Amino acid sequence: MKRQTIGIVATLLFSLIVVFFIPWLLDLTGRNDLYFTLTSVALLSIASAGVWLTFFIGRINMGQAAYALMGGYISTILVVNYGLSFWLTLPLAGFFCALVSVLIGLPILRLRGVYFAMTTLVLTEVSKLLALALPITGGASGIINIPLPKALKILGITLIPDFTTLANVKRAFYLLSVILMILCFALLYRLVHSRLGQLWRSLQQNEELASSIGVNISYLRLIAYAISSFFGGLGGAVFAAITQSMYPSNFTVNDSVNFMLNCFLGGLNYVFGPILGTFVLYFGWDWLFRMGKYQLLIFSSVLIVLMLFLPNGLLSLRFRRKSQA
Amino acid sequence: MDKLGQLVKSLGLISGLLSLSLFISLSLAQNPELKIGFVGVTSGPAAAWGTSNLRSMETRAAWLNELGGVDIGGTTYDIKIVSFDDQKDPKRAIAGMEKMAAEGIHYVVGPNVDDGAAAVRPVAEANGIMYFPYAFPKELYTMPASNAVLGMVANYQSGPAIYEYLMENKGVETVAFVAANESDPLSQRDSGVAAAEALGLTVLASKDTYQNDTRDFTPVLTPIVKLQPDLLVLSGVAPGNAPLLIRAARELGYTGLISTETAQDAQVLMEGAGDLANGFISVGGASTPEIRSEVMEEFIQRYTDMFGEYNDESNTKVYALEYILETLKANPAALDDVEEFKATMDTFSVPNIYMKGDAVLEFVGMTSFGQKRQIAVPLVVNEYQNGEFVTLFVAKVD
Amino acid sequence: MIQVLANGLYLGGQYALIALGLTLIFALMNVLNFAHGQMYVLGGFITYTVYGRLGLPFIVALLASAITLALLGAAIERFLFRPVIRRSFREESTMLLAAAIAFFLDAIILLLFGEKQRGVPKIINGVLNLNFQLVMPYDRILIGVVAIILILAFILYMQRSKTGRALRALAQDRVAAQLMGVQVDRYSMIGFAIGAMLAGIVGGLLVSITGVSSGIGGPISIKAFMMVMIGGAGVISGAIAGGFILGMLESVGLSVLHSYGDITYLVIFASLMVFLSIRPQGLMGKPWG
Repeated sequence: MKRQTIGIVATLLFSLIVVFFIPWLLDLTGRNDLYFTLTSVALLSIASAGVWLTFFIGRINMGQAAYALMGGYISTILVVNYGLSFWLTLPLAGFFCALVSVLIGLPILRLRGVYFAMTTLVLTEVSKLLALALPITGGASGIINIPLPKALKILGITLIPDFTTLANVKRAFYLLSVILMILCFALLYRLVHSRLGQLWRSLQQNEELASSIGVNISYLRLIAYAISSFFGGLGGAVFAAITQSMYPSNFTVNDSVNFMLNCFLGGLNYVFGPILGTFVLYFGWDWLFRMGKYQLLIFSSVLIVLMLFLPNGLLSLRFRRKSQA
Repeated sequence: MDKLGQLVKSLGLISGLLSLSLFISLSLAQNPELKIGFVGVTSGPAAAWGTSNLRSMETRAAWLNELGGVDIGGTTYDIKIVSFDDQKDPKRAIAGMEKMAAEGIHYVVGPNVDDGAAAVRPVAEANGIMYFPYAFPKELYTMPASNAVLGMVANYQSGPAIYEYLMENKGVETVAFVAANESDPLSQRDSGVAAAEALGLTVLASKDTYQNDTRDFTPVLTPIVKLQPDLLVLSGVAPGNAPLLIRAARELGYTGLISTETAQDAQVLMEGAGDLANGFISVGGASTPEIRSEVMEEFIQRYTDMFGEYNDESNTKVYALEYILETLKANPAALDDVEEFKATMDTFSVPNIYMKGDAVLEFVGMTSFGQKRQIAVPLVVNEYQNGEFVTLFVAKVD
Repeated sequence: MIQVLANGLYLGGQYALIALGLTLIFALMNVLNFAHGQMYVLGGFITYTVYGRLGLPFIVALLASAITLALLGAAIERFLFRPVIRRSFREESTMLLAAAIAFFLDAIILLLFGEKQRGVPKIINGVLNLNFQLVMPYDRILIGVVAIILILAFILYMQRSKTGRALRALAQDRVAAQLMGVQVDRYSMIGFAIGAMLAGIVGGLLVSITGVSSGIGGPISIKAFMMVMIGGAGVISGAIAGGFILGMLESVGLSVLHSYGDITYLVIFASLMVFLSIRPQGLMGKPWG
């Protein structure tokens, strides 16, 4: 019981920091530009959390960009063509992605290792080509001038104000993204430490064994993959609202690879690895922008060195002492 | 304890890093220089586009600073180019634009592609930034949008001029289009097809596409060459792909004309296709020896000294920075108020130092956009001949 | 139609050669080498520099590419992959390392050789034209033949030489090979070197046809992954089959579907997904890699 209390306190503290302290600091210092950077980190880490979950069941997922793209398009099309409220399209985008992922997951989740990785990589390409070829997505010219989210009212009470009336839209998107991030990771943490999580972990270690003790493995895998894709769709949908434009190239193979790298870098054994990995990768790149043409060189060198010395992710740093003890 | 410790520690680590990063980035002091931004792609397959842009800016800035700086409203500024590589990713482009805003920059050149240009629009408008994209969607330049200025001649402007010229002078009657399966080239192809049809050309093929990472274009071109069109248009072709496409078409026995509406590089064409590229028609800036001034010659020399090799795409890309600085000179109040800049755009006109004769720098675009949101780059249509470009004709955009 | 088939064969030859190196490295170390395309590009630029710029004979340039890449491959295995594989809990970690190496090579290539597309003068001029039924430039024919000779030589080497046999043993069962006295570390390094060398040679060969440019490494890696998947990961014959099949699919698809425009690759990729979910081990692979 005591452990649970500390866990809740830590989560609350973290939430307080990202929801109140950081905006306060940003406003105080006038570093308005960091809102978007941090928003990106939050959204990308949500999508990465999905990839992390598929890693958790022992699958290398390189198709998350496909769901992010899909989520972005679903939300955008519903808002632009059907006039739905953004707040309604957000969960719809997530659920649509989850549904699609179930259909796709049924056959491909039987694959393992590089086979699953490559199939999902192809999925990313397919989604981009579909976005280019389908009439409803606007094809190559994309969808632009997407309106900002309107107010969310339930029974006449305004829960979220109309974004167009806000003085600082960036802060609003930042808050939306970090709150979503906290919710997603809280959910992920609960799931991983529940009985379902135990079963998932058994899949990662040995599917045959899990199957032989009467676990319905294909059902378990599908749930994990659906949640993973839900996260991807959610991230993509919010991104579309921020950029107010949606193009087939909004999420590409590079993003799929990056989601995966975020998980690796944070560490595959740690639920909060994706946040840290995304943060370090994104900010690392951003900071190096002052190095001009040496940006990529330094960035990749640091990555290689990190892998050499911390091959199990950044969070493994703290466990060295413990494993020796 | 381990799971819990992990939770607490990782959250602590993340928050610590967050706060630390913020405090470090606060130490950025304001510089006395005049900063001009660049947000575009300088790595990956499309690196050539942004690189020629950035290098043009850096060359010109170094040159102006060497001359003692730029006098705007009685104050002499050193020009500092702040660049950001968006990796052709619209999400990164936004981050880049935010960075520019944080640096207090109001004038940014780029992004290089449609999706990036569309994505940065909200940021630019919110932060009072004028940006000069190399992207063609009309929505960026027509009301209610007003912060983007097209940095080159759009293909829906140059295309018709080229087709008309070729119809009259080379007797072209049939045309085929081929484009990469990506947003920019496909949009350009569609507007090219529309223009060709409006002019009464017979469009034989308008659906053929290739993946941008194609290295061997023979399979793509085999069915098109069979149709034997008079003109083959490579819509929005990347400079790296142009010689490969030309070579594949010629080696398959294609004898008609080949053209594109984007800027190309003579050296790349020579290395990639050799004599097979002779007669290839493309669009350039103040590129050909007949029309370029001594200032342009010196610019090319300085660029070559600085970076080892000139890029002919810079003939167009040299202009954006020049327009920004000259407009600021004309109205110093625009230094930190883009509304002033917009007001000046309507009447702005100064001599074009890069061209012989009495050409002027002015903002255009009334016909295409209904407002002056395009820089007037001379529409120079070139033909490649044995390693260099020869002027076919020069036209103006209004 | 002859033309379409010839295009497909030529494309298939070069694809197969690219896929061979990748599949070899995968078979030996279970590493999906993301940097394979970058190695190809580096090989291309070395040939470009030696042949195009320094004016030395093409064959010398090719050798320079081969040797440089072999050394680079060996060094990457010895100093990067080996320690990471030893220390990491999960074998997937090597993917991050491979991706980082890919970024690193991208950066180096961009800094050293610039952003422009590069090409060299044709090695032979002239075009074989059989009454427009079949049009094929002589240099393509030559490169196609060289590619096929190289593939055969590679197969022969793997079958007959002591090193080849050791490599195959290693690929089949690492532990068993070790028990049988194969020096695993040494042959892993040799295998990686050969894989990298193959990438370098193809890059060098193709400079004379399609040139080389600094940003194409990533897309080439991905294409190579697909060929390897079609044939079956880690199987030499599979890589060759995968290369030829993808080459043929592209050639035929682009011809047959050309009036539908943008859908050729969509069809190819979608059918690849369906194929892989029905037969995950590819054409010839062992189940579960």
